[in-house]
Amino acid sequence: MGHGENSGRPHKRNKYSSKEDHKAAAFDDEEAYYVEDFNDDDRDGDGEGKKRDFTKLELKPDHANRPLWACADGRIFLETFSPLYKQAYDFLIAIAEPVCRPESMHEYNLTPHSLYAAVSVGLETETIIAVLNKLSKTKLPKEMIEFIHASTANYGKVKLVLKKNRYLVESPFPEARRLVLKRLLSDEVISRARIFNEGGDGFNVSRAIGEIEGTHDELLNEAQLAAVAEEKEAHSFEIDPSQVENVKQRCLPNALNYPMLEEYDFRNDTINPDLEMELKPQAQPRPYQEKSLSKMFGNGRARSGIIVLPCGAGKSLVGVSAACRIKKSCLCLATNAVSVDQWAFQFKLWSNIRDENICRFTSDSKERFRGNAGVVVTTYNMVAFGGKRSEESEKIIEEIRNREWGLLLMDEVHVVPAHMFRKVISITKSHCKLGLTATLVREDERITDLNFLIGPKLYEANWLDLVKGGFIANVQCAEVWCPMTKEFFAEYLKKENSKKKQALYVMNPNKFRACEFLIRFHEQQRGDKIIVFADNLFALTEYAMKLRKPMIYGATSHIERTKILEAFKTSKEVNTVFLSKVGDNSIDIPEANVIIQISSHAGSRRQEAQRLGRILRAKGRLQDRMAGGKEEYNAFFYSLVSTDTQEMYYSTKRQQFLIDQGYSFKVITSLPPSDAGSELSYHRLEDQLSLLGKVLSAGDDKLGLEILEDDTDDIALQKARARRLMGSMSAMSGAKGMVYHEFRTGQKGGFGKSKPKDPAKRHQLFKKRFV
Amino acid sequence: MVHAAKGIFISCDIPMAQFIINYNASLPQSQKFIIHILDGTHLFVSSNVEGMIRSAIQEFREKNTYEKPA
Repeated sequence: MGHGENSGRPHKRNKYSSKEDHKAAAFDDEEAYYVEDFNDDDRDGDGEGKKRDFTKLELKPDHANRPLWACADGRIFLETFSPLYKQAYDFLIAIAEPVCRPESMHEYNLTPHSLYAAVSVGLETETIIAVLNKLSKTKLPKEMIEFIHASTANYGKVKLVLKKNRYLVESPFPEARRLVLKRLLSDEVISRARIFNEGGDGFNVSRAIGEIEGTHDELLNEAQLAAVAEEKEAHSFEIDPSQVENVKQRCLPNALNYPMLEEYDFRNDTINPDLEMELKPQAQPRPYQEKSLSKMFGNGRARSGIIVLPCGAGKSLVGVSAACRIKKSCLCLATNAVSVDQWAFQFKLWSNIRDENICRFTSDSKERFRGNAGVVVTTYNMVAFGGKRSEESEKIIEEIRNREWGLLLMDEVHVVPAHMFRKVISITKSHCKLGLTATLVREDERITDLNFLIGPKLYEANWLDLVKGGFIANVQCAEVWCPMTKEFFAEYLKKENSKKKQALYVMNPNKFRACEFLIRFHEQQRGDKIIVFADNLFALTEYAMKLRKPMIYGATSHIERTKILEAFKTSKEVNTVFLSKVGDNSIDIPEANVIIQISSHAGSRRQEAQRLGRILRAKGRLQDRMAGGKEEYNAFFYSLVSTDTQEMYYSTKRQQFLIDQGYSFKVITSLPPSDAGSELSYHRLEDQLSLLGKVLSAGDDKLGLEILEDDTDDIALQKARARRLMGSMSAMSGAKGMVYHEFRTGQKGGFGKSKPKDPAKRHQLFKKRFV
Repeated sequence: MVHAAKGIFISCDIPMAQFIINYNASLPQSQKFIIHILDGTHLFVSSNVEGMIRSAIQEFREKNTYEKPA
């Protein structure tokens, strides 16, 4: 026996080691990575099957040390537990669009837009491919390499630079610049716009400082690093400022396909006066804020683009820091008057800007700054407003139009409709545009418009990483399932009540009791500050009246809003406030840490995220918040849902965005606890029935959603809804009003025939017009 | 005089009982299937409608369920 074993072993071992040596030799060289493929023929199988089947991807031998999987269809999966996670994340967020980011595995997608963004922050095609190949567990699929080449070939080859108030078209790439610039000039529109200067037909040559990109350097080899750090020569030609818009349009993908990047060389701008402002020493940008700023100011110039940070993570500090670096006049646009006040306050808080250099321009306060440079904070509506203005605001608007702004700072860019953006951007002349937002999703899928109107996405933070770092609150999300009561559900099912469905599931007594229970629990046991959201105005007033709590909705005046919010912030008596849709965006209530959502706006993912954002500002002491601290959760987000109703559908849809950010929703079924009994309202059946009567007798117009003018998601969702669930949804769609109207005229006119009005009965005003 | 009818005893939660009652009410007289409503969560219905009720409930629930598009 012993003999047999001895003779067998060496042979076996020999065979094994030789195979390993062979493999190792083959795998040494990354670029020329060659694989003995046993089923080579199968690799060229049909593309469709290949997209789903990943068994053919070849693992690199040291795959365990590499953090990501790259698939041929452009999807990339990142393991967050890898030691290289941080570097890989920084890189991926620059080149790809995050799809879903739960705790241990992230999904990203390579898109032409995301690659455009990558190029605009200074990454070059070869760098993208090289780093991606370094990080990937598998050999990069050739489809992906081709895709990157195809998408980035033309991006970033030309830049539009405003230098000393001359618009220059510039190309930094030595091998391509002559070619590209010549090609552009061969276009009629562009050659007409060109301004010749003394240099004859040659291009201007200037030197720009090379990219200062610290983050990916460790992943590149020496040679590449040297190339990046080297100073670059740029060739350029000047164009007529009045033709800039046309030239930009010619360069878009549907024409010449050389999309321009916009940069502002603010250090060399001697024409526009400087603004004295510095960040105060106590304003310490956090690491992720630094990073987002470094993307914007990567090469010593200011780039236009969008920065995406969760609510409460300090977007305003990023905005103020950007303004402080550029040190030129700054126009700051917010969504409403309350957030205008907040922005003005933030500017004064974080920077040493003098009071006379900052002013607010709203319908209530029309201030003007003294001196020749300053910060103006206003709303999108004020700038884009097309109607007649007062003499005073006409003057201010004129000033805004005529001034050359160093920075156009746009808050909450996701809410503004594209046409309003175009208008604002065409009215104001700005060197650099910075958009800030927390949720780059829209139900009308117009988000890509922003890419060309403002610029590419420069940076996007990962929510869960910020939670782990203690920068934003750790939120427990819960969906509370409230069963419908017998009487309410019976009415809900009746056909004639199809218009009242929403009111019925929102006013469900079990939901009311759950809400009341949660308010009591958090007020009394934990001393929390609570916001209750309701989109349905009928429900908002009913709940707020019954529970005797203050409420704010669209019609509440600015003064009253400020008063209620002030009381909520300071008073010990006011711990709960009811908000309608107006509270979704940019009302800053840092004290609140509990949200109860009783009715919501159909399936808007953005609204859900924005509402969560109201409580994301970190609370308590840092060490308590960190992992292993005293409190695991310090903020609570409850969404109350009536089971077996349409609300279940919307609720799941709404949560998608937050789930993609890595949040999970806990389902709670036993609220209020069965022993709560008569302490809570609507315990007795008579009370429930009288509530039901109230809902049924209320007019349809009262039960509807509050509709705000500037909410485009609304319109998009309503269209989508009407398509999806025809008959039953008419209550909430725009068609509601029309049905009602026809019915009325039908009755009056007698069986549908409306006879012409007697001219004698006409109102004075109209008489003159009907001669 | 004793009346005997063969049927199915249904036990469900309150909203579903209401759903079945409403479904029954929406049908023409000849197709009505509920023999007796025992209480809020129990019903006695004719024996041949089990499949029909199940599929109606299934359809109703699917309408209220959101599936993430791929």
